[in-house]
Amino acid sequence: MAQQTAAEHAAQNQTSPNVAEPEYPSLHLSGFGDFGFAHQNRSEGARGFNEGQFVLHLSSSLSPRVNFFGELSLSTRADAGTGNPPATGFNAEVERSIIRFDQSDRLKVSFGRYHTPVNWWNTSFHHGQWLQTTISRPEMTQFGGRFIPVHFAGALVEGAFPAGGWNLNYKAGIGNGRGTVISRAGDAGDNNASPAWVLNLFAKPDRAFGLQAGGSLYFDKITLANGREFRERIVAGHAVWQKEDPEVIAEIASVHHRDVGDSRATSNLAYYIQTAYRLPSLGRLWKPYYRFEHIDIATASPVFQGVLNLDGSIVGVRYDPSLFAAIKGEVRVRRRPRTSGWFLQVSFTF
Amino acid sequence: MLRHTRHTNRPTLLLIGCLLLARPAAVSTMQSAGDIAVVVNADVPVDNLTLGELRRLLLGDREFWPSSTRVTLLIRAPVARERDIVLRNVCQMTEAQFRQHWIAKVFRAEAPSAPRIVYSGEMAMDIASRNSGAITFVEASQVTKGLKVVKIDGRLPGEKGYLLR
Repeated sequence: MAQQTAAEHAAQNQTSPNVAEPEYPSLHLSGFGDFGFAHQNRSEGARGFNEGQFVLHLSSSLSPRVNFFGELSLSTRADAGTGNPPATGFNAEVERSIIRFDQSDRLKVSFGRYHTPVNWWNTSFHHGQWLQTTISRPEMTQFGGRFIPVHFAGALVEGAFPAGGWNLNYKAGIGNGRGTVISRAGDAGDNNASPAWVLNLFAKPDRAFGLQAGGSLYFDKITLANGREFRERIVAGHAVWQKEDPEVIAEIASVHHRDVGDSRATSNLAYYIQTAYRLPSLGRLWKPYYRFEHIDIATASPVFQGVLNLDGSIVGVRYDPSLFAAIKGEVRVRRRPRTSGWFLQVSFTF
Repeated sequence: MLRHTRHTNRPTLLLIGCLLLARPAAVSTMQSAGDIAVVVNADVPVDNLTLGELRRLLLGDREFWPSSTRVTLLIRAPVARERDIVLRNVCQMTEAQFRQHWIAKVFRAEAPSAPRIVYSGEMAMDIASRNSGAITFVEASQVTKGLKVVKIDGRLPGEKGYLLR
């Protein structure tokens, strides 16, 4: 089969002298999917079997220096069939839509809807459940969560400098910031006159291949549905050891709000640390993991009203029966109030 | 008898002498025979890469040459010896980790596409010779004219301490 494919390619080369030159636009389509099962003592999300997200990823080179990236998700709805007209079974969402102009490794400019580069997890795994070791995302970066702004609509400048083997990377962006519903981005426009700013810096040193460490700053003005306005400042940091023996991910974020009206301020903190280890030799298909996470919300926070404090642990194992599919099982114990449960997931890319 | 022995030994000694003189070249050829050469298109303005630079090229962290030409990464299909050596010695990854890395790289919108797969050394060199930003990995003994072999940390295939063997 491999020989046949090689022969086909050789023949293709002979008949097409320009095979080395790419054609534009060149669209590539890939996707992610997952199915899960949940058993919980107290309902915090779906119970029983559930279809996760069906995610399509599109990438297309429009020229050697211009590329488009898109991510579409279809998520099941708990209210399917209710209302008038009846709600559909799935919710469609344009998660990311980015057009990027590449000048060089040091300068790339893009426009669109992103996952905000204020958090490592948020910009590393997106909606690809198969990519992440665990079943669940950390609570601080949960989709639909409010702690950090998950999405960002605007423009981004990014690049990388070798810097003597330190490999310094930067991302600087301006955008609409949070919408009136603060878990959502201002996709249709900014709800106030102050844009959001984000700056993300990190290093990937050659001498410690596998390590990435960095931090982010994010500034915005939030306008709530009741008209109250707050200045938001997020300071975040991350350190990640990306090899699998072991894998260590640690992130911390401090979210500070100051009421524009009376200058009262609140601070909120969240962090998590996750470790995993790909077993050697015969056990290499197995990867046990553990994560501890903590969220501390200021009692008087008007912006995060209803967001619960959290101390939680998850322990689980990932099994990779194929290069492109994984089966994960994990137990979660949380204190907020106390909940516990066990979860199974099959995730894959295609 | 003695005289006869002397006569027969003369060509043998000559042969041993020739072999001793030719020894460094023979060893070099023997070593480079198993080495994997890092080959680029003749227009690529690079003669030497550090291990870190080569790793960044292989993992898509570096997408442009100093001349601003986009890098076209050509890599052999799985199971090929060239691919195994490059993944093990440069990327320090298994096949599964390398594939997951590139799926994630494209998904994160950090690279427009994964490396282009080639199915033979000849195919790799043919495409590399016609693509101005191409880099590929082939058996050092197979490298043809018109392509440039790049030093890795100052060493060429066959030299002591060369990384890709």
